[in-house]
Amino acid sequence: MFAYIVRRLLLMIPTMLGILIINFLVLRMQSPSLVEQAQAGGSGKGGEGVSSERKAGGASKQYANHIDRFRRLGNDLPAVVNLRGFLDKDDVVAWLRRTSPAAGRTDSQRSTAEQDLWLAGHYAVGPLSDVLADPALADLYGPASQAFALCAHTSLVPADQRDPIRVNVVRTRNQVLAQNVIGYRSDRLQGFVTDDSRAEAKRQALLAVYADPANRVDYAASGGQRWRSILFETGFSTFLTRLFTGTLVSESRPNQYVFSIIADHWKLTFCLNILSIALAWGFSIPLGIRSARRLNTLEDRATTNLLFLLWSLPSFFIGTVLLHHFCTDSVKDGVLQPAWFPNAGLSSAGSLWYSTPRYLLDLAWHGALPLLVLSYASFTSLSRYMRGNLLDQFEADYVRTARAKGASEDGIVYRHALRNSLLTMITLGAGLLAELFSGVLIVELIFSIPGLGWLLLDAAKQQDAPLLMGSTVISVGLLLIGILVADILYAVVDPRLRSRYA
Amino acid sequence: MPEALSPTRQMLARLWSYREARFGITLLAIFAAIAIYAPFLSGEVALVWKDQSGLTLPIFADLFNRRSYPKPHDLLFNLIALALPFLAVGWFLLRRRWSAGRRLAIGGGLIVLAWIACQVPLLPSQGQWQELWRNRPLSPCTSNAYHEAAGQTTLAIFPPVPHRFDTTYPGSSLKAPMTRNEATGARFWLGTDAGGRDVLAQMCFGARISLTVGIFATGLSLLIGTIIGAMSGYFGGWVDLVLQRVVEIMMCFPTFILILVVVAMVGREIFVIMLVIGLTSWAGTARLVRGEFLGQSVRDYVTAAEALGLPRWRIMFRHILPNALTPLIISATFGIAGAVGIESGLAFVGLGDPTSSSWGILMEAGRQNIRYAWLIYVPGLAVFALVTALNLVGNALREALDPKGTR
Repeated sequence: MFAYIVRRLLLMIPTMLGILIINFLVLRMQSPSLVEQAQAGGSGKGGEGVSSERKAGGASKQYANHIDRFRRLGNDLPAVVNLRGFLDKDDVVAWLRRTSPAAGRTDSQRSTAEQDLWLAGHYAVGPLSDVLADPALADLYGPASQAFALCAHTSLVPADQRDPIRVNVVRTRNQVLAQNVIGYRSDRLQGFVTDDSRAEAKRQALLAVYADPANRVDYAASGGQRWRSILFETGFSTFLTRLFTGTLVSESRPNQYVFSIIADHWKLTFCLNILSIALAWGFSIPLGIRSARRLNTLEDRATTNLLFLLWSLPSFFIGTVLLHHFCTDSVKDGVLQPAWFPNAGLSSAGSLWYSTPRYLLDLAWHGALPLLVLSYASFTSLSRYMRGNLLDQFEADYVRTARAKGASEDGIVYRHALRNSLLTMITLGAGLLAELFSGVLIVELIFSIPGLGWLLLDAAKQQDAPLLMGSTVISVGLLLIGILVADILYAVVDPRLRSRYA
Repeated sequence: MPEALSPTRQMLARLWSYREARFGITLLAIFAAIAIYAPFLSGEVALVWKDQSGLTLPIFADLFNRRSYPKPHDLLFNLIALALPFLAVGWFLLRRRWSAGRRLAIGGGLIVLAWIACQVPLLPSQGQWQELWRNRPLSPCTSNAYHEAAGQTTLAIFPPVPHRFDTTYPGSSLKAPMTRNEATGARFWLGTDAGGRDVLAQMCFGARISLTVGIFATGLSLLIGTIIGAMSGYFGGWVDLVLQRVVEIMMCFPTFILILVVVAMVGREIFVIMLVIGLTSWAGTARLVRGEFLGQSVRDYVTAAEALGLPRWRIMFRHILPNALTPLIISATFGIAGAVGIESGLAFVGLGDPTSSSWGILMEAGRQNIRYAWLIYVPGLAVFALVTALNLVGNALREALDPKGTR
């Protein structure tokens, strides 16, 4: 039994990994470039591309804000392999040259190179300071100082924020860096032209920041750290760390951890799913038995056809129709007719102060229609399978033996055939669960139930990537747990499986 | 049976003998006709227009105007609408010379080629072609013009729904069915939505989206599923092992959530939706095809083909695949139904393509304006009817193709 469970658990790893990779890919694809973000959020002047003259200082501060956003999700790092620890001065010079206007280089190529350089982070700070210190590279001082300020810009991580002295140090340093960006313009013919009257003073100030041993700790890296960063300072590893340490922060609801938002919502969805499975099974197993025992009667055929129609009815249609007819107040002959069922939520406003029976009644009143919509779709498939299974069992030898020895018809059905056909019903549970998780989205939307599905939709509409990822992972996790439970149940009731793994 | 029919003919005859199948196929044909001939059913441009300068058929000029129909799938359907009568004649004339498959392939190929040819002027180039294509004047022969210039025009015949699907008619937001349009006096047969657009017109053009998504997404998923299933079943061994794990992962994946995440983050264009549905729903097909290939690959004809030294892809796709088509056809029918449902569901939760009018988007409008019954029932019943028709045909196909039913 233990080996069986372990085997099932191992099979789930690729599924989970699959959803993580897809989430990660979507996250990387979705994120707009730094320049686009700055243009969207900027005050017009700041985010003009590379081609035009750039004013020092202000633009740099604006980009820094967006770099913070990139760093929160690890979008500033390379996807899977990080070789930035091994940058040296020549690499950085070549990189800077790629951002200069030259024949055969388009503006978008230049701005991509520029963005990559700005996001290169603390490993590029050392080489950039070498560039600033080299008098032979005077034409690169402007762009190098811009890149220096942005690479050396330190984002405040939550751990820092607990220490007020550290916050002060980081803020001041970031400010100094932003103020000392050397003004320059890029010219089609001459390349970069430094045209700042205070260029020399600013350059010295920047070099001084890097020369200070107290600051150097944040920028310089030891050899071991460089090697480790190849695999552990990448977008994917950051994403996994954020996810598993629960430090994903929602973007549309500022300063809230994704998992604490989800914790407020998942229970409703969980309860809805459990109840709907119970309802679906409780309804369709007796129906299947009845149909199988009255094979080819009028009742059997009527049930079959009705269930077929029910199967084709989209649940969003049924849900909306129910909402229209039963959950909307109407006016008839000038008199307000209150709706039969509530149209939002799972409990009334003051239900916390209700007595327990009244609270349960209130819950049932709110939950009846959502549960119905959630479970009716599975009635058909479940009861069809039940009927088919039972019919197969009726033809089996052991049923004939039981008949021959004179067992009653009820005894044959309930003691012999049913137990064997219930076995396959459990395996159906897994497929049913996946459908339920899609259905619950629509039901929660229609009946305004603030569950996990509602949250997921909300995140999807607001393009809140961390929240979307968190709720997807939790949904899939819940689903996998459900499938695991179904598998274990199957092993518990099937003696053959038990003995194989004994 | 008086004369020996081919197995396909026998199957079709058997299929047609089921009442449900006849009903389903008729319903599907109606939906297809509505989708293809949507511009002739709803639109402001006149079908026939006669004034001092003579008699014209402005609708035909409007069919290929990119300003009236900016979406590529609309262009495809308009092409089909125009070409269908000719293709039907060709089908009939060539019935003794070419096989049905060949006629189908050539007809489809012609349409697709024409469609691609129509896209060419849109490619980035500095020609006046592009300008010509983009800035074609809209047809002046609209119902509005007819109404304003009353008396000067002697004759104009308009589509039964003289409203465009994407035009907002001022002052007619959420009008009940059969209300008159104040400007032209025409009726909104099935009312309007909150934005003042005609519901029936949107339904006609929404049929195009549903059918496009259903067919293309299912085609893609069939393609992927067949290739993976065929490799898995024919090669066996570790290929099978790895591919089966992948299929298992896809099987117990909440596809709708995955589609939702991708569509929300990547984009809401109808083509992204189609692509994503196709890319995520092939697991069932792969499993089916694998089962068939496992059964077929031990047959003698496969051994014979291998002994002849044929390449493996040829054995897989020319020899085995035609013998494994039966379950594929059945699963395709249900696949289309599923894709239509997913597309409407996506639009219903607010992640549909906002620039095109699909049934799901209308349904969402119904959810937001819950008191207006026609916004709920019209699109809902349409989705229901299409899905039911597809499911009916699928069920009947399953029975008709079942070799046990041959007797």
